Amino acid sequence: MSRQRSLEKIAASEYVSIGELVRLTGSRYSTLKFYTEEGMLPFEQEEENLTRRFPREKTVARIHEIQGMKKQGCSIPEIKKLLQE
Amino acid sequence: MEDLTLAQGFAIISLNALDSRHMTTAKRMALRCISAAAILELYLKGCFTEKEEQLVLNREVLVQPNVLLYQAEVLRHIFKKKTSLEGTFAWWLMKASALSDKSLKKVEHAITDSLKGLNLVEEIPTLLGCDLLYVTAEITMREYRSNSLEYNRQVEGTRSEVLEEGELTDEDIAKLWLLRESACLNEIFTKKELDNVLIRFNELYQSSRLAKRLFEVCIHHMAETAVKNFLSFKKQIMSTPVGTGINFDFPFIERSQSVFIDTEAMFSKPEKRLEDVLKRLNHYGHEVTVIRAGVVPLLKIDNVLYEAVPDAVMGKIPIQGMRLRRYQI
Repeated sequence: MSRQRSLEKIAASEYVSIGELVRLTGSRYSTLKFYTEEGMLPFEQEEENLTRRFPREKTVARIHEIQGMKKQGCSIPEIKKLLQE
Repeated sequence: MEDLTLAQGFAIISLNALDSRHMTTAKRMALRCISAAAILELYLKGCFTEKEEQLVLNREVLVQPNVLLYQAEVLRHIFKKKTSLEGTFAWWLMKASALSDKSLKKVEHAITDSLKGLNLVEEIPTLLGCDLLYVTAEITMREYRSNSLEYNRQVEGTRSEVLEEGELTDEDIAKLWLLRESACLNEIFTKKELDNVLIRFNELYQSSRLAKRLFEVCIHHMAETAVKNFLSFKKQIMSTPVGTGINFDFPFIERSQSVFIDTEAMFSKPEKRLEDVLKRLNHYGHEVTVIRAGVVPLLKIDNVLYEAVPDAVMGKIPIQGMRLRRYQI
């Protein structure tokens, strides 16, 4: 039996799952999934079928960065370009 | 940001937009599941003593400081005057979900109070309460509204855990079962996603001990599920462009989508009619913004757009007023 991690534990851990990212940032799952598929969020995956692990600090900062750019009116291709620079 | 319990998280999803004053079918289903969630929490916390297949619980648990108020409320109604109870896992869940309406109401107060204290749930007036028939009958209607950020967090958190590959926690398995039993699954997953959810149910049934125990238990009542599904289907149909038109001519089909507000004077000017409508809406505590004035004004009421179309209903004498019709974007 595995139990859900508390927010306190999630906020202190180095790596988090996409579900935990949703809980941390309040973003929609489909949005984060889309960002991941578009290569906008960094993640690690040991083997193809294993769960993706996201470096917490870096990913949360990246999500806030994307949200900020969206508020300024940037489109997704523009954001992707800006993130790559 | 708070760590919510299983029952609190489920209540945020299931009680949102439900009538807060009357025991509707949808609310009864949600409350039955909230009561079952309280038992599941105690089970996951290890409060039960397991003797072979039987789970034993003593009344003393009620005074333990780690037992929350709503959990104690559910247990009090199950124990009644008994000092100790023993039953299978399914028996406990069935017992918790079979509480009377009176007991469910008490559980509702206990759980919503805990959420109101965290500013995660509030009671807001229902737009239907402004309708002529409801105003003259002096029926006050209010509904629950969950904090949108927390609602999003709960719904999207569950969606991501279930749809993403990887192991599910016990809380997620329990929440998935609660969503199934309360007929809320189709509210948070799309039709296409539901196919994957079904596959997940089968996988979990084979791989998890808790899922195997839990998924065999059915606490829902077929008649209630049918009523809830029919009502939500009706609402969905009446929200389409064609449905909105039909409902305008036959408002009794879906009253909540076609609200009639009577105006003070007959044959009044558009400005006066709008003034009367705004007065009624403001009196009942709705946030209204006039987007467009004129003969058919466009109003934004509690973040939803409505057109106010001049209309009349036949009583002993014709009553003139305006009918609010959902505006299709």
